[in-house]
Amino acid sequence: MFSVKQLQRYKNYTVGDTLPELIQTVEQSMIDAYADASGDINPLHIDPEFAKTTIFGGTIAHGLLTLAFVSRVLSRWNWQGWAYGGELDIAFLGPVYPGNEVRVTAEIDHIEQREDGIYARCLIACYCGDKAVVKGFCVCRVG
Amino acid sequence: MADFVTYASLVEGDEFLHPPALFEVSQDAVNRYISATSDSTPELTELDADGDKIAPPMIAAVYVIDALRTRVGPPGGIHAKQQFTFHRPAKIGETLYTAAYVLKLYQRKGRNYVEMTTETKNQAGELITSGMITRIWGKE
Repeated sequence: MFSVKQLQRYKNYTVGDTLPELIQTVEQSMIDAYADASGDINPLHIDPEFAKTTIFGGTIAHGLLTLAFVSRVLSRWNWQGWAYGGELDIAFLGPVYPGNEVRVTAEIDHIEQREDGIYARCLIACYCGDKAVVKGFCVCRVG
Repeated sequence: MADFVTYASLVEGDEFLHPPALFEVSQDAVNRYISATSDSTPELTELDADGDKIAPPMIAAVYVIDALRTRVGPPGGIHAKQQFTFHRPAKIGETLYTAAYVLKLYQRKGRNYVEMTTETKNQAGELITSGMITRIWGKE
């Protein structure tokens, strides 16, 4: 059994560590491709004329496309822990427009021992400029 | 009769999808998802421990939303929150069945909220993904 103090650092994982950021520009062509791949053809995402009539004033990316960027960051950081038992809990805070650059950040804020192993929790935030568009956390097994 | 699911028809604890929605994990579907999301995770080009080709965990966003889209609410709904637990990656060739249940109904700032749990299993009953989605229901 590890103490709370010992779990501030476990193997290569330390509370306060930041994961490598990902920056992804989202163009309308990417949104269209995601609509095709996911089958989510809501006109808010792919029809500029319709989208102009909504509160967003134009097309916006699928929120779950932004989560795909989060998944890329976590897959590179800890594939095994993410793909086999990873947990994600997020809120969508704002739209991503075509031409926006999405910056995905993650920081380890807690390491805990569960019955079956050691798990790290990361705070996750996605930004367009200074504005957060997604916030939440993930939990992945690290040992 | 509305051509969408009305908020008033939802009941906490009810099964939302009858029967669970089906999704075939084809190589084409996975390729299109990987291409659309620019995912270059090396493990996706390799075989897993069982010698199978696998899909990215977040393709759950496709099969879960695809399932929920079989019973749509009124236009203007917003996806507010999402939880996923990825029990293991889906494998190419598997057939997935997603069940959904209405967990909680509530109002906030004059808007209707729906929380649903989802559970996706393969054709053998193995759990692949579980989750919870919070939707702000569109105005009717």
